[in-house]
Amino acid sequence: MTPVLELRGLTHAYGSLRAVDGVDLSVLPGERHALIGPNGAGKSTLFATVAGTLPATGGSVLFDGQDITALSESERARRGLLRTYQHSSLFLNCSVLDNVALAVQRVDRVAYRFDRAARRFGRTETRARRHLESVGLIGRAADDAAALSHGERRQLEVAMVLASQPSLVMFDEPTAGMSAAETERFADLVERLPDDLTLLIVEHDLDVVFRLADRVTVLHLGRVLASGAPEQVRADNAVRSAYLGSARTDDLFNGGPR
Amino acid sequence: MNRAAATRRTTLIAVAVITLLVAAPLALGPYAVTTMTRMLAFAVLVLGVDLLTGITGLPTLGQAAYFGAGAYTAVLVGLHITSDAMAQALAGTAVGLIAAAATGWVAVRARGIVFLMLTLAIGESLHQVAATWPAVGASNGLAGMPPITLFGGPPLLPAGFVYWWVLAAAITVFAAVTLITRSPYGRTLRGVRDNESRMRALGYRPALARYSVFCLAGAIAGAGGALWAAQGRFVSPGDLGFEVAALALLSVVIGGAGSLWGPCLGAALVLLVRDNLSASIGGHGPLVLGLVFVAVVFLLPRGVAGIRHRRESRS
Repeated sequence: MTPVLELRGLTHAYGSLRAVDGVDLSVLPGERHALIGPNGAGKSTLFATVAGTLPATGGSVLFDGQDITALSESERARRGLLRTYQHSSLFLNCSVLDNVALAVQRVDRVAYRFDRAARRFGRTETRARRHLESVGLIGRAADDAAALSHGERRQLEVAMVLASQPSLVMFDEPTAGMSAAETERFADLVERLPDDLTLLIVEHDLDVVFRLADRVTVLHLGRVLASGAPEQVRADNAVRSAYLGSARTDDLFNGGPR
Repeated sequence: MNRAAATRRTTLIAVAVITLLVAAPLALGPYAVTTMTRMLAFAVLVLGVDLLTGITGLPTLGQAAYFGAGAYTAVLVGLHITSDAMAQALAGTAVGLIAAAATGWVAVRARGIVFLMLTLAIGESLHQVAATWPAVGASNGLAGMPPITLFGGPPLLPAGFVYWWVLAAAITVFAAVTLITRSPYGRTLRGVRDNESRMRALGYRPALARYSVFCLAGAIAGAGGALWAAQGRFVSPGDLGFEVAALALLSVVIGGAGSLWGPCLGAALVLLVRDNLSASIGGHGPLVLGLVFVAVVFLLPRGVAGIRHRRESRS
């Protein structure tokens, strides 16, 4: 089976600092793949490089078997590679419905039509509302996105990405700042997603990670430390020392065991 | 208030305003009617500026250039080809569109202050061309355009008839811009205004949206210019200078960027102060406009249109 996403020696360097350093990774279709690692491990940079927000300074990104390293972020999104942001990135002065509808109307290829009012594009409006319903925000459709709480913004973010007809979604710390109830709701939502949708999740909440993921990759100082089934990773000594708590303090500064 | 009631109220207000505007020449003298005609033509320009500034978040000082291009085109068509007002307006719109399409590609690559400066440069360049090119009368401008006609009828000499034509055209533009803001395309433009990088992450090409709306705003400005010429039957480099561009942007700020009726009111106010009140207050019109501007920025950050918002959020 061709992996949906394959990284070959992917590198992104900020000057001489290689935040992502020769990462090899492959994600199979339908996989729920979690990416964990201590702060500064390069998770967010890896995400941005895969999504095309940041350019790769080395290596390549393959999506559905095709090299997309040179493509722009928007072209990657059109091919079905979508990401969410660690800090919600919304259209704050637009209505909640507009936020999701922006994603739907691009997929429906009506984003540049002005021959009639948006609410007369029935298919687009219905689908946008259905996505809002699935994250529990339908009651707030007419409010400005700026009026949403932090947790609601995260939910809207999820709805926007799912409305873009993705084949791979990358969630960047989706539950950061969520209450326990909101986190539970998010985990439920992810579990109900169609099986053919591939997910790559950066997450700090290890309960969420071990509940959702079929595979876990541990990143440390820009490199892959371990990759495998959740139990396997949990048992890995290198991971334990680098991340799960038993690291000596000086390891954090000297790079720890490699 | 539910949506149906709100829609009904909006419709009622629109009908009342249009009725008043249509009836105005029956009650007012020719001078007042001429003034209102100019306000309407200027409001069309302001609608284009609002589409860029208020809806898409691109403050511009270059729209006067396309306004001027439309006005010159209309006068040239009137002098040499036909006195048909419809043909003049369409020609002005087309030339405004073409001029914006030819020059906008440079401007839309930039954002914020740089975009503002690039549009200013475009405006000043076209102003220079108009002021020095003998074929368009250089600094004298073009005069002697025959009165407009409609549908092959007789020349429309009374101010009221010209007013009705300009009113009809302005309402058409207003309706078209309203439709644009409510359409999926309008949503795309607001998305570009609010968060361009997020648009890219959703698979949009924001540059395409910016360029297309720049062309559209140029076409609208061209239409405004042609209507301006239909009333004045004269065009000079002063009609596309920095002052016109700045007043158009000022109208949008005073009226409330993003609202459509607010900036139209702003346009009327700005022209009233510049052309009519200025003489009676010893030529201090610009000073008054400056004070109005300062007052609006401090007291009504969302312009005249913001007053309604504030009332609604309080009740």
